[in-house]
Amino acid sequence: MRAPYEAKFRGGNDMKRFLILSFAVIAMMAAPVMAGDSESYGDGVTLDEAVAIDVLLDNPNDYVGRKVRVDGVITAMCKKRGCWMQVTDQESGNGVRIKVDDGVIVFPYTSMGQEAQAEGIFEAIKLTPEQIEARTAAAQDHKEGATCDKDGPKSSAVGAGCDAPAIDEYVYMIRGTGAVIKG
Amino acid sequence: MKLRRLIIATHRDIGYFFAGLTVLYAISGVAVNHIDDWNPNYVIRRDVVEVGVLPFGEPAELAAEVLSRLDVTEEPRSVVRMNREELKVFLNQRTLTVTLPGGHVVDEHARRRFAFFEVNFLHLNTGKGFWTWFADIYAVGLLVLACTGIFIIPGKKGLGGRGRWLLIAGIAIPIVYLVVVVWR
Repeated sequence: MRAPYEAKFRGGNDMKRFLILSFAVIAMMAAPVMAGDSESYGDGVTLDEAVAIDVLLDNPNDYVGRKVRVDGVITAMCKKRGCWMQVTDQESGNGVRIKVDDGVIVFPYTSMGQEAQAEGIFEAIKLTPEQIEARTAAAQDHKEGATCDKDGPKSSAVGAGCDAPAIDEYVYMIRGTGAVIKG
Repeated sequence: MKLRRLIIATHRDIGYFFAGLTVLYAISGVAVNHIDDWNPNYVIRRDVVEVGVLPFGEPAELAAEVLSRLDVTEEPRSVVRMNREELKVFLNQRTLTVTLPGGHVVDEHARRRFAFFEVNFLHLNTGKGFWTWFADIYAVGLLVLACTGIFIIPGKKGLGGRGRWLLIAGIAIPIVYLVVVVWR
């Protein structure tokens, strides 16, 4: 006995037509995804105005806990998971890391050097003495060509790489909700 | 019996339709599971090159000088002076980190890992849009496969015997894991 729908698909020409139609529909639906020159990640960018990274880092206490948007060039990236990226002001070289939940947003490694807009909650993380020590050791490894992400102790990473920029005893980063990377 | 035949036919056809995608998702699943050990999407190669002492100059000029010394003709995507001692020159899938003024260059190339990049692109739904819908349909398909699979074989090797115990074992393993690791 055939299942009720089996009479519709008896193989041969019917199946060929079905396959051709399926491929055509897929091509039409996927085309808009491929055509875009900016890629949106997570919730994208919702704030109209960005805070200059220099202003953010000069006055961190004014922004901690607030949702902010930063614009700049991607100068560093989580090499394995794509779970953080550093957005840097091209003029000053100051940067801030955008940390996202593993697997929820994955920044592509090949977008290094591209312009990005990113937003999320600005956070200040006070480093422990052990973390400071581990960061120093990781920095020394880095000078010898070792990758900080691979060799740095996880305790030093504060979730955004063990070489995340720090001011005094604090790492300032953005708990990212979304980003737009320009192609 | 009619119902069982319908179950078998449904299981068979959905199984054929999604067999290829299931293989791809399984490969990607293993690859992504071991993300602590490797980058499943890209092969990143790191070379260290000495280009000699560099003159003072604007970032663009310094980048041009470094690229010239490395015989690279590609226009940089962007150039950023990270601090007094470090310049980054970004090319397509390649980053040069230059120590100033000594000319120590860390040359990092990234290329897509053959086949894995594509299967991970599908599995992690990087493309969104159409694939979100198709992956949802696939998930429903898997659900149907699981539910119909349970009832394909009657009798001792089915839910009446061996099948029942395998079904219970398969459900118990994740529950025990959750009890031990998450819910304790």
